[in-house]
Amino acid sequence: MDTKLLNLDNESLICRIKEGNHDAFATLVNRHSNRFYRIAYRLVSSKDDAEDIVQEAFLKLWDRPNLWNPGKGAKFTTWFYRVVINLCFDHRKKKKLINLPEDIEFSDENPGPDVLYDVHQKQALLDRFIHELPERQQLALNLCFYEGLSNYEAAQIIGVKVKALQSLVMRAKTTLKYNVKRYLGGG
Amino acid sequence: MTMNLEQFKEKLLMYGADIRCWPKDIRSSGLKALYSSPELQKLVEDEERFERVLNTRRYEEPSRDLAGRIVAAALPKKKKAQRNLGVFFSEVLSEFSLSRRTFAAVSVSLIFTLIVGFTIGYSNLSGHTSAEQYETHLEDFLNYEGDVL
Repeated sequence: MDTKLLNLDNESLICRIKEGNHDAFATLVNRHSNRFYRIAYRLVSSKDDAEDIVQEAFLKLWDRPNLWNPGKGAKFTTWFYRVVINLCFDHRKKKKLINLPEDIEFSDENPGPDVLYDVHQKQALLDRFIHELPERQQLALNLCFYEGLSNYEAAQIIGVKVKALQSLVMRAKTTLKYNVKRYLGGG
Repeated sequence: MTMNLEQFKEKLLMYGADIRCWPKDIRSSGLKALYSSPELQKLVEDEERFERVLNTRRYEEPSRDLAGRIVAAALPKKKKAQRNLGVFFSEVLSEFSLSRRTFAAVSVSLIFTLIVGFTIGYSNLSGHTSAEQYETHLEDFLNYEGDVL
């Protein structure tokens, strides 16, 4: 692989990809596949599905690099986050996901934090609480808390203003805090 | 700028329990408020506990060969991606080792030949034979009684 490519920024790599440069494509994939896998995994909760989605997104880019238009002002990563997120939501609609342990049943009464769940059940419950949030709140939480993106970048990805993004994060955390306290005894 | 309880709670939700990571313009006022109020310290402890729970969320690392797999999957598509008219012509050029100028000359002469061909064809149509004449010739042919070679 051409080592000069490693020093190029994303936008220059895409220009090379438009010329059919496979090494430029490989450089871009090596640089970003793990990052986009993380958000995909957070949204679909399955390693295999997340990997397939990231692969599909990159192959789309390889086939049609002109889909990304730098003239519209979005950074490559911002735009590609959107591509991956859209694929994840499409996938979720198809799969009607979230396979939770069937032995977890909620009663209307507050079970209290002393109810003992094992680690896997706790993780599954947490995942369920997050997946039950409205889509944009989920995205805001995943991008800001789990991915550590700035409010500005997360707002750009979701397509809202920064104030609206902050409101999404706050509502997501407030709902989660309530559920976590109620069922898991943390927070 | 001083920060009251409500403002502090809001920022805590927005930016998290680690005040050192808050935006610069509110960081110092956040820290100042925190050090001066046990109530706010309790809030931060609660937030830290909550974040620890959030961090227990299940996560699986991607396969080590994920990037390699994606790159390999793009290879068979490489040729397909390059199939356009420009690439076709450049392939023709290199196949016959023609310079751009020669290629242009060949193209122009081919187009010229086509135009001449069409012109001759159309001019013949203008001097066309009538249907009646065709019939007469056909009749002559059918009534011909001479030797057939």
